[in-house]
Amino acid sequence: MPATLHQIETPTGTPPEDWRTIGATLNRYVRARTSRTDVVEDVVQETLSRLVQQSRVQHLVSVYALGFRIAANLLIDHHRRDSRYAAEPAVEPASQAPLPDRVLVGRQEVAILKEALAAMPPLRRDVLVRRRLQGQSCAAIARDLGLSPKAVEKHITRGLADLHKAMPGNAAAREDAR
Amino acid sequence: MTRDSQIAEEAAAWIDRLNQPAFDAAAGPDFDAWMAAAPRHREVFADLQALWHSEVLVEALGQAESTPIAAVAPSVPVARSRRPRRTAPLLAAAACAMLLAIVLILPILSTTIYRTGAGKSRSVELADGSRVDMSGDTEVRVQILPWKRNAELVRGEAYFDVRHERARTFRVASGTTTVRVLGTAFNVDRQSATRTAVAVYRGAVEVGVAGEADIVLRKGDGARVVDGHLTSQPRIAVSAPDWKSGWFEASDIPLGVLIGKVQRYSARPILVQDAALQTLPISGRFHVSDTDRVLQAVQSAYHVDVAYGPKAIAIRPVRDVEDR
Repeated sequence: MPATLHQIETPTGTPPEDWRTIGATLNRYVRARTSRTDVVEDVVQETLSRLVQQSRVQHLVSVYALGFRIAANLLIDHHRRDSRYAAEPAVEPASQAPLPDRVLVGRQEVAILKEALAAMPPLRRDVLVRRRLQGQSCAAIARDLGLSPKAVEKHITRGLADLHKAMPGNAAAREDAR
Repeated sequence: MTRDSQIAEEAAAWIDRLNQPAFDAAAGPDFDAWMAAAPRHREVFADLQALWHSEVLVEALGQAESTPIAAVAPSVPVARSRRPRRTAPLLAAAACAMLLAIVLILPILSTTIYRTGAGKSRSVELADGSRVDMSGDTEVRVQILPWKRNAELVRGEAYFDVRHERARTFRVASGTTTVRVLGTAFNVDRQSATRTAVAVYRGAVEVGVAGEADIVLRKGDGARVVDGHLTSQPRIAVSAPDWKSGWFEASDIPLGVLIGKVQRYSARPILVQDAALQTLPISGRFHVSDTDRVLQAVQSAYHVDVAYGPKAIAIRPVRDVEDR
């Protein structure tokens, strides 16, 4: 049973208003990844309660870093569970496809991102593909492309910022939808 | 607007740092301070992190990758002859080429291949002091380099007891699944070309699939990757993997996978030619090192026909379904 915000006690000196801020930030992240409100609620509350539990037993290096990691893992769990249940009546293996409600929005977003990627210097695009798609480490990318690790970092940072900029309606549109 | 794009770059830099295998502990408070500093910081970070993790980005990158301009072969160490796109001074290029040569040759020289036959198991100690216990019909290729430790499970199943080293990560690849070790003991079971199961007995590991986000498994956790799809698995806490005592715990496992396990112990090939039978879900605890007993159990519980031929054992659907 996930704790609600009111139940959260703060033994390590994180004031309650900070937990609210952390919760709101995680909420924004989770909302951007799924449009199922029940999942959003679930994941955020569970993340917060795990963060509080963790902060009781050990000093957290970074509340935000751990929070985002937990939320990301919980989302994966949710996604798997959903696709497993969905696949149960039919005997076919669990589908890898994203949740149906994301498909339509997804297609437009893919088009926008593709355009932004095409507008990038090829080297930057290459770095992003290797990092995100092939899961190569920064060191490996630097070695493969003959770049310095700093340069690889710069390409990822710039590239990600470019992609973010390409999605202007992104933040505002979702705010309206609430 | 320029302020916003600066925030975006800062947020992107944090995302990149957070996604490194080892998040620098000293950077933790800095990150929290940055997040606490302004609401816009938190918003942009949340949006960017969501974008970075999103399926749409993976898809867009996948399509961008396959367009001719950006077409780049996924890096295979041996086939790497690509030159940096930027023209560098000649001297630097020469130095680079030399370094590249070293980087290329070293891995080839230092790859060691370990194999076991059906029914045989073997325990090897690696150059770094780690231990690998291999089940029957298993092949593991190990590469211990000064800057990294890599192992590939080509087939079969192996238990890794990895010596902890802060600077050199230990990675196990099994198909598209990678297990990144954070100093620990764990089991990797390559059940088929596109199916891998991982269970952790001590410490923690990170499991990733191709480009997918990593998931951290701790002691007592398990995970299964089927066709690039990762599911966490509840696992009974035991001190050593089942296969070491010749057992296999199946919960909704395709018959083909179970037979693959039995095959690791059996010199005689076991054939399941019927496709529907291959995927028949099986549950139970099987003594896989005892071929006859497993086949008997499957025969009686799942109503299949087991035919013992002179050269092979064939599992078939029951021909005539008699009334009971």
